[in-house]
Amino acid sequence: MIIHSSNQVSRFRLLRRFPLPRGFGVLRESRIEPGRHWPAPAGAKRTKTFQIYRYDPESGRNPRLDTFEVDLDECGPMVLDALIWIKSNVDSSLTFRRSCREGVCGSCAMTLDGTNWLACTRFITEMTDPASVYPLANFPVIKDLVPDQTHALAQYSMIEPWLKASEPPPQQHERLQSVADRKRLDGYYECILCFCCTSGCPSHWWNGDRFLGPAVLLQAWRWLADSRDDAKGERLDALEDPFRLYRCHTILKCTRTCPKGLNPGKAIAEIKKMMLERTL
Amino acid sequence: MAEPRKPTSSSIAARARGLGSARHGSGAWRAERLTAVALVPLTLWLVASLVALGGADRAAFVAWLGRPLSALLVILLLLAAFRHTALGLQVVIEDYVHSAAKIPLLIATHLLCFAICVAGVLATLSIVLGR
Amino acid sequence: MRPCSPNIQNYRPQLTSVLSIANRITALISTVALVAFVAWLVAAALGPVPYDALYALAASPIGRALLVIATFVFFLHLCGSIRHLFWDAVVGFELRSIYVSGWVAVAASIVLTAAAWLVGGFFKG
Repeated sequence: MIIHSSNQVSRFRLLRRFPLPRGFGVLRESRIEPGRHWPAPAGAKRTKTFQIYRYDPESGRNPRLDTFEVDLDECGPMVLDALIWIKSNVDSSLTFRRSCREGVCGSCAMTLDGTNWLACTRFITEMTDPASVYPLANFPVIKDLVPDQTHALAQYSMIEPWLKASEPPPQQHERLQSVADRKRLDGYYECILCFCCTSGCPSHWWNGDRFLGPAVLLQAWRWLADSRDDAKGERLDALEDPFRLYRCHTILKCTRTCPKGLNPGKAIAEIKKMMLERTL
Repeated sequence: MAEPRKPTSSSIAARARGLGSARHGSGAWRAERLTAVALVPLTLWLVASLVALGGADRAAFVAWLGRPLSALLVILLLLAAFRHTALGLQVVIEDYVHSAAKIPLLIATHLLCFAICVAGVLATLSIVLGR
Repeated sequence: MRPCSPNIQNYRPQLTSVLSIANRITALISTVALVAFVAWLVAAALGPVPYDALYALAASPIGRALLVIATFVFFLHLCGSIRHLFWDAVVGFELRSIYVSGWVAVAASIVLTAAAWLVGGFFKG
């Protein structure tokens, strides 16, 4: 009932999805068809069923939902371990991004049981039965669980995420910053750009072509909050737009889903407050 | 589900930039919050007054509205509420409507909000001034 | 064309998103209630005949039921909006505060609706 940390899985499992028709707003090429069933290997004692979204761009067919039975005694405790077990032992065509397997690179961000998280830090025991594994919500799918993040990354480069200082760097030492000023970056510099938050934001679903989304806006705040950056005016000018910043209606699914426990909603509120400060 | 606007160039970066920043948007956000702050006490007062009126017939209602303080607060409430409503409905339409119907809908919304607000203010004035 | 991964068709409802869409739906219904209030004012200004007609509608069982629902919807929007105003002041953004304030807003609107209707009896002017 009360969530105090984003890694808490919801206990309230009554409503699995919003009560809308299953094909609501789904374009023809995105409709998901039933897929193959892959049974557990013989002799497996503890198994768990995974329903995994599959899409093969070379087949010319629609995406489908495959059902895999995973032998839990043979794979590690995380959902990523189950995916690697499936790829190694059952279907080697299962495609997904992964790298660090410890929750710091952001590659394996997926929609697990209807919420966005990193596959490598989600325990299999926390998943429902059957567990559902979908690619990150509302992204074009390249193959299987691999989303196409080029537009989101283009929005990120648009906010010019680098230090813009009016003076050249000092000769003898680095650009100095007080402890208090450095603390203002805590909670924002740690973002791993996994895009779990942006993928879950309904405003980005409906207006993602123009709304920047929580990940990009959190990074925009990271640069606005940096005491060494001198371009606050032009950064705020670029953000002051009814769509780029002000599509945020403080829905706060971003803060609920961040796998690193960051707070994009708060960052966006700080941007709006700074926007207010320069008019009053 | 968002229909992509027609890109002016096929470059992905250009599509993300779009037509550039509008350089406005904070004004509408401020106005919506200001009217919201004004509406909290005004609407609570209205609900309390209507509850206190109970099952009033026209004479009692007109007597209540005819008092200068009631009329003032009702007019302030109408002005703030319709400004807040117009801004809020604009945001809702911009969120969900991406077709050619968007601009006519926005025009109709703003004009209707203004017209209904004026109707309410006129009705209140006619009661407070005519009695 | 690449398929798009499902969004609202698959994403789990959470208190954050449910209360947010509830705030929007209650805003739209409150707009209707506001227009009805203006209609009430105009009827009062026009004379006893239109006013009594509206009064009869409001006093009917369906009218009273709609008024109770409208009061609850309005109070839900009011409490949700106050929650939003705190967020605009950058207060209460920790997840625990978000969830506690959410439940408090729902509870407060139920209490306010009950108070309005129990105090005012079953008639609403």
